[in-house]
Parts: sequence; C-alpha cells; structure tokens
Amino acid sequence: MISYLSRRVVHALLTLFGILTFAFVLIHAVPGDPVSFAAHTGRSRAVPREVLEAARREYHLDEPIAIQYVSWMRRMVSLDLGRSFVDQRPVYEKIAEKVPNTFFLNLAAFLGASVLALAMGIASASPLQRSRRRGVSFSILYSLPNFWVALLLIEVAAVRFDILPLYGMVSDGHDELSTAAQLVDRLRHLILPAVTLGYAQFALFARFAVTSLDEVITKDYIVTARAKGVSSRGVVVRHALRNAMIPLVSLLGLAVPLLLSGSVIVEQIFQWDGIGSLYFQSLLARDYPTIMGLTVITAVVTLLASLVTDLLYFLVDPRIRIEEGR
Amino acid sequence: MKATALEEGAGLLARFGRDRLSRAAACFILLVSVIALFAPLIAGSHPHAPVGYGPDDISLPDRLQPPGAKHWLGTDELGRDLLSRVIHGSRVSMTVGSTATLISLFVGTLFGALAGFYRGVVDTLISRLIEIVLCFPFIFLLLAITALYRPSLWTVVLALGLTSWTTEARIIRGEFLRVREMEFAEAARASGAGDLRVIFRHLLPHAVGPVLVFASFGVASAILTESALSFLGFGIPLPTASWGGILSTADDHLTSAWWLPLFPGLLIFLTAAAFNVVGEGFRRALDPTFRE
Repeated sequence: MISYLSRRVVHALLTLFGILTFAFVLIHAVPGDPVSFAAHTGRSRAVPREVLEAARREYHLDEPIAIQYVSWMRRMVSLDLGRSFVDQRPVYEKIAEKVPNTFFLNLAAFLGASVLALAMGIASASPLQRSRRRGVSFSILYSLPNFWVALLLIEVAAVRFDILPLYGMVSDGHDELSTAAQLVDRLRHLILPAVTLGYAQFALFARFAVTSLDEVITKDYIVTARAKGVSSRGVVVRHALRNAMIPLVSLLGLAVPLLLSGSVIVEQIFQWDGIGSLYFQSLLARDYPTIMGLTVITAVVTLLASLVTDLLYFLVDPRIRIEEGR
Repeated sequence: MKATALEEGAGLLARFGRDRLSRAAACFILLVSVIALFAPLIAGSHPHAPVGYGPDDISLPDRLQPPGAKHWLGTDELGRDLLSRVIHGSRVSMTVGSTATLISLFVGTLFGALAGFYRGVVDTLISRLIEIVLCFPFIFLLLAITALYRPSLWTVVLALGLTSWTTEARIIRGEFLRVREMEFAEAARASGAGDLRVIFRHLLPHAVGPVLVFASFGVASAILTESALSFLGFGIPLPTASWGGILSTADDHLTSAWWLPLFPGLLIFLTAAAFNVVGEGFRRALDPTFRE
C-alpha cells in the first residue's frame, strides 16, 4: 500500500513539474514578451508604465530564458503568483477570495447531477433485460451548448415568467432580510447557474451509472441473489449498486476539470462572483499575472482531484490492492 | 488483406445504416455540409440567390424584425437577415469542426502510435504529456491561447486541434499495443521493413478503426467549443457570421427578440447532436455485443 501511494505521489509531482513548464512555454511562445502584451491597448484601459516596468524586473524578462525559467519555477513553488496589473493586489489573494463562491456553485451542480444520475440508473436497471439505445438520449443531452441553455433558462424562467432572479448572487437589499430569507434568496439565485452547470454532468454520470449497472447486472452473483428469492428491486439496490459504484468513483476526477471549464461560461452569463468571472475579467483587462495564476491553479486542482480519485479507487476496490501487492 | 478490410468496412456501413436515427443524423450532416459549401450561392445580394440578402447587408430600418415573409428568420440589431447569417455561419462551424478534428487526429495518431509501438521510455514520456495536457481545464487553456495570440479562425482551429488530441492518442496507443504482437507485424519486421514502414504501412491500417469512429464525437465537441469561444468574444472575430457570435449579440436582446437566440442555438445543438448520434451509431456497429 505504501509503495503504491508513494509511487502515485511521485507521478503527481512529475506532472506538477510538467504543468508549470507547460505554462511557462505557453507564455513565452507569445510574440513579444508577456508584459508588452499587457501594454497593448486591450478592451479596457492600458496598464500604467510603472507597473509594467516593475513586472519586467520581477519576471527577469531582460535576462536569459534559462534564468527566467528558474525564477518562474521558484516563484510558483513558493506560491508567489505575483501582483495583478489591474489593482496591484497579490494574485493569490484575489483568487482565494473567489474560491468559496465557485466551490458552492460547483458543489450544488455536482451533488444535484450525481443524485439524479444514480436515481435514474437504479430506476432503469433491471436484472431481466439489458438496455440498447440509452446511450443515444444522453449524447443528445450533452450536445446542448451550455451558454445557449443559460440564455433559454433566463428567457423563460427569469424574463417571461419572472419566477427566478436574472443574475447575480443576492438581491438588492439582501442585508436587510432575516437570516432565513437571506438563505432562500441565495438558493433562488443558485438554481439557474447550478442547473446550467449540472445538466451536462448529469448526462455523463447517468450514462456511466446506466452502463455500469447494466454490466454488473449480468454477473453470476446477481443470478444467485435472484435465485435465492431477492426481489428485482432489491437485487439492484443491495447487490448491484455497490459494485457498479466502483467505476463511478473515477468520474470524480473527470468532473472537476469539466465543472471548472463550465464555471467560466456560467459565471460570466449569470454574473456569479467566482473564479470563472475573475478569469474572464482578467482576460479582458489583459491582466497577465492573474491569467497565468488561474491557469496554473486550476490545473493543479485538477491534478489533486485525479490523485484523490486514484486513492479512493484504491480504497473501494480490493482487487487493485491485491494486484499491487504482487 | 485489403479486400477483407473493404468487406469489413461495407459490413460496418450496412449495420450502421440499419438504424433510422443514425441515417437521419448522417443526412442532416450532409445537408449542413452542402449548405456550408455553397453558402455564397444560396444567400447573397446577387440576383437568382434563393435568399436575397448577404450576411453583412446592414439595413437599419429593418432592425429587429420578427420572422416573416420578407425575412424568414427575422433580422438582428443592425437589420441583417438572420437566415443569411446563419447560412454563412455554418461555414465557420463546419470548417472549425473538421479541420480541428483532422489536426487532433493527426497529432493523436502520431503520439499514440509512437507510444504503443516503442513502449518503454517513449511511452512513459508521451503518457506523462497526455496527463499534463488533461490537467488543464480546456476552456481555461483555450481562452488563454486565443487571448494571448491574435484571435482568428485559424488560432481557434489550432488551439482546439492541439489541445484535444489526447483521447485519440490513448485509443491508438491501446490498439498499437494489441496489433504489434500479431503475426503479420512479426512477419513485416522479419522481412526487413524499417520501423516507420511497419508503423504506418502495416500496423496503422489495423489500429485506425476505433479512432476514426471517435472522430465523429471530436467534430461535435469542436463545434460546441468553438461556438462557446465565439459567444464569449474570444473565438471568430466579428463581423464574420458564426453561430456562437450571433448568440453573443442575442444576449442583449433576450426580452425583445426571441428569434435571435433561438435559431443559431438550435443549429449548434442539432449539428453537434447529429455528429454525436453518428458516432454512437458507428460505435454500436463496431461493437460485437450489439450485433443481432
């Protein structure tokens, strides 16, 4: 067990090194240097000259590329993401304060999608017949562009019927409400963004749940359980589900980068004050330290999620432990 | 060998064609391709064009007209004919979808073949590279690339192609690990063929089937991602008509002009769904457990 864990952690460290190098190459392949990129008149006002000069010194841009690379690595490892060109605040701080908002939005989408998908898997799995065509209906669901779904949801729920708020995280006058009313207000604002973010996850999870249950249901131990008189529903819930859950664990690692990608679009449309919105504003302002900081941090979060997934897999599936022990 | 490959292909097509939904999806893709190819003839301000407006013909008196006899799908905020813009927008989606997929097929096949054929250090290096690329949430990476470089159709195509090859590489790698052990591979090596000849001439034809099927899913996701980038303003620069670009302006007119968000979005959805359905159809046709 220890050898498996340490090997996995060493792999993750190598990948982390690769991520940082990849980001470095990405910036330095840009024509001109990253600071002069910020000086181009972007869509918002230009960055002051003093800030650019300070940044040029900080990033050692006048020195050879090898020194730039070493200093980039050193700064990244010590979690120094530099200062924003827009307001000169540390990038790390700017990102940290947006994390909770994005986290709750993603958590709501993730929980909603997985609960619905599992329920659907259980409802449709039957030890008596295998499904043939279900894959198609799910692929139709994730052919829907999420920004279009967001526009339609806004059009129907917020504009035509006016039952949910159009955008933002709280209403005007939120602070004067009672605690319970504040909670309701927040939840009402959460619904549309979470649905937009969650439906594609639901399609992915439901597809996995259905195929995974379908596969388990043909196994001998299911036949045995049926033969000893367990009801059709009981077989699915008590015997099949546990084993079908194992491959579902791997979805956790897949879901994180998808949710983060979705956050950029969803937060932008619903003006949700999280890291997706921050990323988008940084792109418009050409705030290069924040852009690179967020690119690196989201990649590291994805890496951590895949590491956790592998460890979970190790815990829930005894077969892996035995194979590793050999 | 060639004849059996052809027969296999014909059998695959026959099994694919048995499914009505797959046939309908394939026909829809064909229709959109023909429209995209002949867009300037179908919609333009020249006489004889079935749709008599160019995609950029501004007419302020006709702004935000609902669908009607004159403008079948209505007009946008500058009085441009939505049908004409949507027809021309199909060229962007189809070009990006097909060329980005070709690039990722090429890169993925190359890396996957090298990893599966040489194994060892080459395999380790390429597998690490795949893992690194997969760690970047794709929208973050794509937005960074299109924002750092000058946005254009080809920036989008290259960014999409160079970030989405990982699945292809994994599929090809797996197939190569399988076919490299087969007797004909041994025979080719024994008869003195060099590595490159063995890889591309002998092994690739046997390994490429699953990845070609997967390409259909690749086109769907490239079309969806391009439209998202264009919607966010980091894809195809305006005034070029693209489905995602039309939707980004529709955002400002949600309350007054329902046709602006509805039609381009519906087209993105139908086109992506058609490619996904075709992919599913081929996957089923290839999967022996689904054969009747």
